[in-house]
Amino acid sequence: MGDDLVLDTAIRDWVLIPLSVVMVLIGVLRYFVSKLMRSSQTPDAKIVKEGQIVIRAKNLRAGANLIPAKAFRARKSYYSNEDNGLLHVPKDQAQNAQAQMFSDPNMAMDMMKKNLSMIIPQTLTFAWVNFFFSGFVAAKIPFPLTQRFRSMLQNGIDLSTVDVSYVSSRSWYFLNLFGLRGLFSLILGEENATDDTQRMMQMGGFGFDASKSLGAEKDNLDLVQHDWVMPKFEQRAEAVLRKLVS
Amino acid sequence: MASTHKSNDFVDLPTVNVENMQNNIKVVLYSRTFMSIIGGVIAGILGFTGFMGFVFYFIVMAITSVGLAAKAGFSVQSYFDSWNQISIDGFLGGLLSFVLFWTFAYDIVHIF
Repeated sequence: MGDDLVLDTAIRDWVLIPLSVVMVLIGVLRYFVSKLMRSSQTPDAKIVKEGQIVIRAKNLRAGANLIPAKAFRARKSYYSNEDNGLLHVPKDQAQNAQAQMFSDPNMAMDMMKKNLSMIIPQTLTFAWVNFFFSGFVAAKIPFPLTQRFRSMLQNGIDLSTVDVSYVSSRSWYFLNLFGLRGLFSLILGEENATDDTQRMMQMGGFGFDASKSLGAEKDNLDLVQHDWVMPKFEQRAEAVLRKLVS
Repeated sequence: MASTHKSNDFVDLPTVNVENMQNNIKVVLYSRTFMSIIGGVIAGILGFTGFMGFVFYFIVMAITSVGLAAKAGFSVQSYFDSWNQISIDGFLGGLLSFVLFWTFAYDIVHIF
């Protein structure tokens, strides 16, 4: 049954290709609009400071084995000392930071802008696709699929006799929506991709506070097993030199 | 002989420039995405259907891995943490793009 389906070339010229081209162009447009709307917020000095401390502690952790044990201990106590270590955060202060984060209207505004710049074009495109292209069988997927995919691929056509590999125009829109992400990362540069992931992170960890990462970093630093590699390097150098001489 | 072997153990010390590493990973992901899109168009134009197309995707990805390894001068350890990063990362991420462009090219050339 499915193989008998003959699609008009006009569908290709006036549905399939325009739909895909429009999806790409809207993606590009969205990128530039969100770039224009992005407000350059001045970062809070305290947050920046805490971030830098975390980075420094991370560097210490990464290079721990390259310094002598005594030096490592000194640096470690500088960071994770219970009294005045850089990574030590008093309990009440941490609460304050979070409350401050929530009450900051700028951040909520920024997030709303970002979300809007994502949602509005999608809604508009979806409405446009529904208005112009509803009910077309627009494409055929070149591999067989099970019946379960029918609701996913034939959204908008209510025919149970059509082969599942045929795709309705509305479902083609969804396929484009997800599949073009790779193309966007190529033509718009990495900024697009990182922007998306950042947005995800912000959504997931709303009210993310630096003091929590300070605490986590402190724990990590406490767990580091110090093992100075320099003596072994002497052996290694000796081995290399012996090899050269002999 | 034993001592040279011992010294080889210490080469494993993680002395990695994180920024360069991230850049390398990004380059790998880019080339994978690019190859999956190009591969999808090629598969569509050649008219592969069903299982054949996915086999083609595997072949394209294998070629990409070999190409990346060749670009790294086959000394992958000096550019990446492990072989996985050059051979497996971004494998599934490109699949969706591949399927989309495969379908697109196949439909344009063969269905209508």
